[in-house]
Amino acid sequence: MRRLNGDVLSGAVLVALGVYVIIEALGWNYMSEEGPGPGFFPLWYGIAMVVLSLVLVLRSAINPAPGAPADWTAIGRALLAWAAFAGCVALMQPLGFLLSFALLTLFVVAVMYGRPLKIAMAAAVGNAVVFYFLFVLALDLSLPVGPLGF
Amino acid sequence: MEALIGLGQGFAVALQPMNLFWCFIGVFLGTVIGVLPGLGPAATIAMLLPLTFNMPPTSAVIMLAGIYYGAKYGGSTTAILLNVPGESASVVTCLDGYQMARKGRGGAALGIAAISSFVAGTFGVLGLMLLAPPLAKFALTFSSPEYFALMSLGLAMVVLLAGASMVKALLAMLVGLWIASMGIDLFSDSARFTFGTAHLLDGIDFVVVAIGVFALGEVLGNMEKRGEGTLLPVPKGLRNLLPTMAELKACRFAFVNGSVIGFLIGVLPGAGSTIASFISYGVEKAMSKHPEKFGTGVPEGVAAPEGANNSETGGSLVPLLTLGIPGSGTTAILLAAFILWGLRPGPLMIQDNPELFWGLVASMYVGNVMLLVLNLPLIPLFAQILKVREYLLYPIIFGISLVGVYTVSGSIFDCVLLALFGLLGYLMRRLDYPSAPLILGLVLGNLMERALRQSLMMSNGDMSIFVSRPISATMLFLAVVLLCLPLFRKFNSLRIKAIEENG
Amino acid sequence: MKLRSSIIIAACAAALAAAPAWAQFKPTKPVEFIVHTGPGGGADVLARFISQVFEKENLAPVRFQVSNRDGGGGLRAMAYVAEKKGDTHAIAVFTGNWLTNPLTRAEAKYTIKDMTPVVRLVLEPALIAVKADAPHKTLKDFIDEAKAKPKTLKQSGGSITSRDNVVRQLLMKATGADWAYISFPGGGERIAALLGGHVNMMVVEPQEAGEHIKAGNMRVIAQVSDKRLAGFPNVPTIQEAGFNIPNVEQVRGIVMPTGVAPDVIAYYEDLFQRLTKTATWRKYLDDQQFQDGYMKSAELAKYFDVFTDQMRDILTEAGAKVVR
Repeated sequence: MRRLNGDVLSGAVLVALGVYVIIEALGWNYMSEEGPGPGFFPLWYGIAMVVLSLVLVLRSAINPAPGAPADWTAIGRALLAWAAFAGCVALMQPLGFLLSFALLTLFVVAVMYGRPLKIAMAAAVGNAVVFYFLFVLALDLSLPVGPLGF
Repeated sequence: MEALIGLGQGFAVALQPMNLFWCFIGVFLGTVIGVLPGLGPAATIAMLLPLTFNMPPTSAVIMLAGIYYGAKYGGSTTAILLNVPGESASVVTCLDGYQMARKGRGGAALGIAAISSFVAGTFGVLGLMLLAPPLAKFALTFSSPEYFALMSLGLAMVVLLAGASMVKALLAMLVGLWIASMGIDLFSDSARFTFGTAHLLDGIDFVVVAIGVFALGEVLGNMEKRGEGTLLPVPKGLRNLLPTMAELKACRFAFVNGSVIGFLIGVLPGAGSTIASFISYGVEKAMSKHPEKFGTGVPEGVAAPEGANNSETGGSLVPLLTLGIPGSGTTAILLAAFILWGLRPGPLMIQDNPELFWGLVASMYVGNVMLLVLNLPLIPLFAQILKVREYLLYPIIFGISLVGVYTVSGSIFDCVLLALFGLLGYLMRRLDYPSAPLILGLVLGNLMERALRQSLMMSNGDMSIFVSRPISATMLFLAVVLLCLPLFRKFNSLRIKAIEENG
Repeated sequence: MKLRSSIIIAACAAALAAAPAWAQFKPTKPVEFIVHTGPGGGADVLARFISQVFEKENLAPVRFQVSNRDGGGGLRAMAYVAEKKGDTHAIAVFTGNWLTNPLTRAEAKYTIKDMTPVVRLVLEPALIAVKADAPHKTLKDFIDEAKAKPKTLKQSGGSITSRDNVVRQLLMKATGADWAYISFPGGGERIAALLGGHVNMMVVEPQEAGEHIKAGNMRVIAQVSDKRLAGFPNVPTIQEAGFNIPNVEQVRGIVMPTGVAPDVIAYYEDLFQRLTKTATWRKYLDDQQFQDGYMKSAELAKYFDVFTDQMRDILTEAGAKVVR
């Protein structure tokens, strides 16, 4: 059942994307005096996208492939990890790279992998320090700096 | 004969202790920046450029070229061990390299990458030395219609990269084309798919998509389970860190294929090493006796793209040194460097500055040997990263990805995009969409659209320009054959089935 | 460390000695030198070269640190400079694109008006070239054929807002000739298209063309310049060839954020004037075949207005969508 949903759902999203591409492309010149315009190429791949995703949707609606049911705990874990990563990106500007990276490490080690807080702290500090030495000191890259000066 | 005399002269220059030293510095720096994702040879050369004003030009060229080809050696390391492509050209190496590492053959994959890089890198120099002037003429016969055909051939490779579902592979490729067309359209100066933000006017950097979809997608997928051990099996003993004779034997053809294809595509100023590696991987798979095993960790799948990637360097120096025409970002900076030193690469370069040209060629032979000697002992060292526990390794990959993306542009916006592409990569994995076709579409999309529109401008809208030119017609024919391959296979299997049923 | 500080002391002393008495401002920490290209782009190479000369010739008491703000077709760097209002330790290389790009891009938040002009440094002339075996010996030959057989001749060039296309538009308008324009992103590809015989003509930078002319692969039929270049005394400028069109200049210089005191502007004006007097700078201009375009802040502000108005007309004429 999950397989059916996944294919139909992603197919529907791609149909929508294809339609969006086509609408945008129709707003641009298809052919100009100088030659093909900016709408030329997108129009064609937009059409191809709609056709192929319709094929996908219809095929899996008619003939659903048997698949294992979705393991929502597993998906939840992956999405949680993603949210932590996204949070780290959001904090990079206000806190600086090293601090937000240390927090990300702390979260992954302590919460997602259930290690004792002591180990997690050590990992967070260790990661940040190694990154600092390697990228900032040795390679002289400029990473976002927080209010504490690192 | 002339080449031999020149080469002798060149070695006399390249083997001077000073030049040997600069060559080593170059290849060493190249390896380091190649290993780190994001930081590329173009930026490094530009930053070191002012330091070279006080050096003799020959030493400076030797060092900067060392960075250029050294970076390509290093690019495969993170691709194989972490599924993080270090350079754009190592995306293809991820496909089989990372799978080899998962099977406990990570060290072997690194070894094959190094050996293939050495063989093909040396071949590229050989080609540069012997064939530069005539090949430069050949490169000039290539124009937009031929590039369009070449890109079509590249896109047709999608049938070889598809997994279980051809429809999904094609859809992933189309999404790649869509991402490629974001930003300012060169021909009309109008913005496309930028959602009204100036951040997207230059489009989305390839590195952001590749790291997001490959590295982050993979990590998120792995984090579904709370694994307690190490991510990959850790090989014990030196023997398990090196490729076996059988593996090397399997790569025989890939060494040749990668060398030749990489060099030829390198000569064309409008193509690039990523395309070279995709095409040689495709050719390797199409010619293979067991194409179905590609993508599961076959050594040829590492050797072919890594070879093409390194042989491309020698090729790309052909138009640079003989015509003064740069074919990539890195060669454009090398050209700027030449001009700042008061040298003018062009048709008269070899005549006017023989010691520089031959010195460079000779130093590249030396540099390739240095790289092999430098890289083989590093393999056990790099393989240590496989011993890191999962819970520690994943944050490290997150961090490396962020640093890699941030250093490309210095913008947080790109890091936000990285997060989005990470999610996309994970969803694609979950829903069985292959990610390689997306990258293929992204790499080729712009070049293909551009070549198509240029061609039609040249012909005043007449499509026959693609078939009336022999090189373009041949490549388009090959592309069609390639696209029909799966249909043919299907037909064949149906026929066999029918025969069996009847019999 | 010792060496460095003694260099800095020496540099300070030199700066003190050279600076006029009324110039009170002096940079006290490294100056951020903003460019809109990635490492290796034209503006980047120029900025790195200039900071190298500053250091070598002890022209400034501090380091000039190149800062790459590439992206958004130059708009990102422009926004970065405009938003640094009041910062006396930031300067940027501007090019003609900084003046033209905001005209066609609705996404642009700032224009050159949101910056303080400092100096104009160089003018880059160009050449009109054909392949050596082409039948066109003069620009008139080319225009005549383009008139007789419209849309058969082709020119390779950059984006439609680039100088290459502007020159073409002006020539077509003045003569009624018509030829195709094919955009290529890189200078190398443009030359390859000409040398391969896939296009008939191009506007090329003198240093790009030098070797091809010497090797007999390329012929120059006219110059896009006010006066003839030293390297090409026998080739007429477009105007000398009998085509009365305005000269399109490719310009580079320095701007800084708004909200800085006059003595700050005066300091940088003077600094760059001293740069243009060095032998290293002279040699650089000769090597690149650039013209000295030194112009001070007040004049440059007027120049910006004139240039922008001219470009607006030309771009509208060329069919680009002008938004401001």
